[in-house]
Amino acid sequence: MSAVLSPEMSSDDSIRCERITKRYAGQTVLREVSLDVPRGTVLGLIGRNGAGKTTLIRTLLGLERPDHGRAFVFGEPSLGMTDFVKQCIGYVPQQPDAFAWMRVGDMLEFVGRQYPQWDTDFVELSLARWHITAGQRLVSLSPGERQRVALIRALAVNPELLVLDEPASALDPVARRDLLREIVARAAESGTTVFFSTHIVSDLERVASRVVFLHGHRIVVDAALDDLAETHARLKVPAGSTDLSANRIPGEVSRHLQPDGSLTLVITRGRGAAWPEIAGAPGVRLDALNLEDLFIEVAR
Amino acid sequence: MNADRLTILPGATEPIYRQIGSQLRRLIASGQLPAGEELPSVRDVAVHHAVNPMTVSRAYCQLEAEGLLTRLRGKGMVVAAGAHAILSPEQRLSRLQPQLAEIARQARELDIPARLLVQRLKSLLEDSE
Repeated sequence: MSAVLSPEMSSDDSIRCERITKRYAGQTVLREVSLDVPRGTVLGLIGRNGAGKTTLIRTLLGLERPDHGRAFVFGEPSLGMTDFVKQCIGYVPQQPDAFAWMRVGDMLEFVGRQYPQWDTDFVELSLARWHITAGQRLVSLSPGERQRVALIRALAVNPELLVLDEPASALDPVARRDLLREIVARAAESGTTVFFSTHIVSDLERVASRVVFLHGHRIVVDAALDDLAETHARLKVPAGSTDLSANRIPGEVSRHLQPDGSLTLVITRGRGAAWPEIAGAPGVRLDALNLEDLFIEVAR
Repeated sequence: MNADRLTILPGATEPIYRQIGSQLRRLIASGQLPAGEELPSVRDVAVHHAVNPMTVSRAYCQLEAEGLLTRLRGKGMVVAAGAHAILSPEQRLSRLQPQLAEIARQARELDIPARLLVQRLKSLLEDSE
C-alpha cells in the first residue's frame, strides 16, 4: 500500500531544483543545475567519479545546503520538509553506515516504528530471499549485504520517491537484476518516482525513462531514453573539410579534436527536428549513438 | 505468449521500445503469434526483463495504432484479427531500414551522389521484375 499524499502535496513534480550551485572549499561541485522530475519518472543519473552526483542527490534531499539555488521535494523546500513528506521518501546512500552496531532485525524494527506505512511482510520476505538473518549485526555483514539491508529499509516504506545513490555498486549481477526488477515493479504498480545514480550504463538503459548526465559539474544531457537515438548523434568531421573552429554548431553537446585533425562532436536535436546543415556536408559522417557511446564521447 | 519470448539488448543503438516492436511484428507476420493470441501484460514484460514499463507500453501502443494489436477489455492486448495480412508497404519497408541505413553510410564513405545510388537501385528492382 502506498502512502496517500495530502492535498497540500499536490505538486506534479516529485523533485524540482532551480540553478543549484554548490562549492566545497572553493571548488565548484555543482554549477547552476536545474531539474524537474515529474511523478512516475524513473530517472538515471550518470557521470564520472567526482562529477557531483552524490552532492546533487544530497542537495535535492536537503542533506546539503546549496550556495545558490533552491530544491523542492513534492513542492516543499528540501531544507524544510515536513515529516509527512520525509516519510514518503526512501533513500539509500552510497555507503549505508547508519546503526552499524545494531542487529539487522532490531534496526529494521526501530526504523519501522517511525513509519505508519511500514511493510513488515515485505521486510521478512526480502530478508529470506536475500539470505540475511535478523540476528546478524550490521557491522558483520559484507558490503553487498549491507546494501541489501539498506534497500529493504528504503523499500519497506513504500516510498512515493525512491532515491538510490549507486545502489548496485556492491551487488552481484543476480542481486542487481533483482533490484532492477523491484524498481520496475514499483514504478509499474504504484507509479513510484525513482531517482538513481549509477555507473552501469546497461542498467540505466533498461529501467530508466529518462537519463541525466552530469559532467563538468553541470547537466550536459537530459533526455527521454526512448528518444535518445533519435535526438542525439555523433558527427565526424574530417580534417580540413569544414572549418568549425570558431563557431559552436546548433545543438552541440561536446567536441573533441582528434590527433589527425578531425573533429568528433556529439549533437542533439528536438524530437522530429532536422540535424544541422553541417551533418549533410561532404565527407561528414553522422552516426547513431547508444548511451554508452554517448557517455564516453562526452566524458572523455 | 510469455514475456520470455522477447529478447532485450541494452547497449544496442535500437531503442528498447523499438526492439520489442520489431520482434512482435516479425512474430505476427510469420504467424507464430496467431490472431487472438494474448500478449503478456506491460507489467509482466517490464518485470521479467527489468525494463521500464512505459517503454513496453509505448511499443504496445505503436502496434495497436498499426492495427496489429487490439486491446480487449479484461484481457489486455491480443493479436488483432488478420494482423499478419495488414502490414503496409511502409511497414514492410521498415524491415529493410538497417540495411538501407548501412548502404547510405557506405555510399557516403564512397562519396556516391544520391542520384546515382537511387538510379542503380531502381534498375536492380526493374531487372528482377
